[in-house]
Amino acid sequence: MIDDWIGHYHGRRSSPVSRLPAAFKLGLALAMIVGTVLAPPAAVGWFIGMALVLALAVALSRLPLRFLLKRLAWLSPFILSVALVNALQPAVRGSWLAVAVKSTICLLTIIVVSNTTPFSGILRVLKEAHVPGLLITTIALMHRYLFVLAEEAERMRRARASRTFTRERRARWHALSTVVGQLFVRASERAERIYDAMCARGWK
Amino acid sequence: MSAAIQVTNLGYRYHDGTEALRGVSFSVAPGECVGLLGPNGSGKSTLLLHLNGLLPEKPDVAGAVRILGQPVAPDNLETVRRQVGLVFQDPDDQLFCPSVQEDVAFGPQQLGLSEAEVRARVQRALAQAGLAGFGRRATHHLSHGEKRRACLAGVLACEPSILVLDEPTSDLDPRGRREFKALLRQITATKLIATHDLELVVELCSRAIVLDHGAVVADGPTAELLNNEELMLAHGLERPHILRHHHPHGE
Repeated sequence: MIDDWIGHYHGRRSSPVSRLPAAFKLGLALAMIVGTVLAPPAAVGWFIGMALVLALAVALSRLPLRFLLKRLAWLSPFILSVALVNALQPAVRGSWLAVAVKSTICLLTIIVVSNTTPFSGILRVLKEAHVPGLLITTIALMHRYLFVLAEEAERMRRARASRTFTRERRARWHALSTVVGQLFVRASERAERIYDAMCARGWK
Repeated sequence: MSAAIQVTNLGYRYHDGTEALRGVSFSVAPGECVGLLGPNGSGKSTLLLHLNGLLPEKPDVAGAVRILGQPVAPDNLETVRRQVGLVFQDPDDQLFCPSVQEDVAFGPQQLGLSEAEVRARVQRALAQAGLAGFGRRATHHLSHGEKRRACLAGVLACEPSILVLDEPTSDLDPRGRREFKALLRQITATKLIATHDLELVVELCSRAIVLDHGAVVADGPTAELLNNEELMLAHGLERPHILRHHHPHGE
């Protein structure tokens, strides 16, 4: 289930976009994102240009539209909250639309790139760009164990639910807080075991 | 010739005061395959961590554990870990890289080998573990049996002379168990296998050691130990079925 939210697109069909070199895609995405963030709200031409580039990329990537929209919806609370804060502030009221458009472009760019590039490809580019090794290791481990942790949480939630006989909201919140606490303890113990396993194979 | 593994009067106490190991002594000769038996919580995993210098936290000065004659001490941990390959109980602890080939390459890379040599070793280890063609697969999408074999490949790629396995066949289906046993049989390294899978011990190990409450309670030929019903039952084990039946045509 968790794969639905955070995993890569699985029916990964080979497409013109997925065959592009990872470094090129990441570079272009970075340029698009930085350009979009820095563009003044009045630069409508830039936004339309970016939207066209994205539309072309989506069409060539052969990613299903439904998948993209679902992912966007999953991430959009972040966009909407920023736009909402902007809309409530009288000084920058006019820019909420710009914020929403900018964030959507940035998010879509990231979603398209990350779902047409294998994660190891992204890490390789970071390594070639001389990103510090420790940071790359941290990102790689985070990506790897996100799934393990999520599955563990799901198993615990299920086990909890099978013995929860009340619909009372307070009880459910209590159960959730226990699961989160347990998850933290288990994650830290697992981290120790992973470190041991790394040392056993010569990690220094 | 010095023993592959030599443990002399080893003791260990966890932070919470639990005494995990008490006066453990045994030795394993090069090329031997030994089964380490004992109920849950008898100290098997704790003992295995000592063989790789992952325990104790404070450096051991007494030299209670010796690998190929060398004491496991802070200044030669690298050498020891090169010689002893440890396969952990939970594959998810051990497979920490995004793809199988990266994970298998981890050990050889840590050894500082050239890229070509790393690639060659990865291919060799994957083939040896029956995972040829699995290199690009994501580690978190493998089945449990495949994860087990990927863990084994990751350790084999370091080409250790001693292989230490912690419950390698737990959670495997019968076929997975059979295949894993066949893999282990082909590996010529010295093996120490902590397990509850008594059939595996009967089939692969010439000798067994029984651990209970952190102490060695029996050490001898597998058939002799495992046929001793009294001993087995007293330590949370049982006489395996495979030894109960007569095999008039076998052996």
